[in-house]
Amino acid sequence: MSSANSSIDTLPRKVNRPNIVAVGTIVWLSSELMFFAALFSMYFTTRSVQGPKVWAESTGLLNIPFAAVNTTVLVLSSVTCQFGVFAAERFQASRTGKLWQFKKWGMREWFALTFLMGAFFIGGQVYEYAKLVSEGISLSAQAYGSVFYITTGFHGMHVTGGLIAFLVVLIRVFKAQKFGHKQATTAIVVSYYWHFVDIVWIALFSAIYLIK
Amino acid sequence: MRVAWKLFAVLTLFYAVLDAVYFFVGGEELGVIAIGLSALLALLIGYYLWFIDRRSGGVLPEDNDLGEISDSAGELGFYSPHSWWPLPLGLSICTAGLGLIIGWWLTIIGVGALLISVIGFSLEYEKPSISTH
Repeated sequence: MSSANSSIDTLPRKVNRPNIVAVGTIVWLSSELMFFAALFSMYFTTRSVQGPKVWAESTGLLNIPFAAVNTTVLVLSSVTCQFGVFAAERFQASRTGKLWQFKKWGMREWFALTFLMGAFFIGGQVYEYAKLVSEGISLSAQAYGSVFYITTGFHGMHVTGGLIAFLVVLIRVFKAQKFGHKQATTAIVVSYYWHFVDIVWIALFSAIYLIK
Repeated sequence: MRVAWKLFAVLTLFYAVLDAVYFFVGGEELGVIAIGLSALLALLIGYYLWFIDRRSGGVLPEDNDLGEISDSAGELGFYSPHSWWPLPLGLSICTAGLGLIIGWWLTIIGVGALLISVIGFSLEYEKPSISTH
């Protein structure tokens, strides 16, 4: 494979074509946006049908400071993910210094940190769910519970999917003979997905916790 | 790419105007959100296409009015290698879906099989013997 690639690399390259994997990922993410559009529509429609009184009672049980901390961790994980992408773009798979020298980290360290932060978010969400269920808000008990768990739950499933994607990238890079364009592309498209899920959460957090 | 991002820019504008009109004639929440996010859908693709068009730093053959067919010859991109993994991938998704009808235990088995299939499928790219790109 390396011989085939190097012979192509020596040819004069007239056209700098867009990366089809990246374009395809963006098109897929825009369809994911419409999936979340359905969830947002469901949330706001239910809210207007149920009336402000029901909503005020149920949203009063939300632990907003806790969710805000969780949100901050998720937003910061997007930053660490982007540092991983910068490392991937200079084809640096792993760190060149000690573990605490984060300026010398490679894609592997940054993505592992992002994974831990994403896992923290999911852990926080599970704790929040358990707390709310113990306070009587459940998926089948009332309309608010249904829309709350469906919107945040589907987002949580997306975050979990992203965590699996990070694991797959880390396994792939571990198995790869060298870190090249292919591996960098995988890292970049996973970061697109992660940023997307992050932005969706900011919108969800604003809708559910701030606007109520 | 130039034509493509302009197409999506027009679509974004169309959905945004439509959304504003729908809101002012008294449309309900569902429509306002769905049409508004349709504008974002077009904006997302359009912005990305504009971004990579700008970053590619040149004119693609399809954007060149005087372009020839032969101008776009050469490497198109990277494609996936031959793999049998999509078959177990599909079967495990099927198992996970059937589990919703039959019982949760089957879904859990399906999700486990799905994880193995996804990892197997993606590691196909790292096989050393692949000679095509």
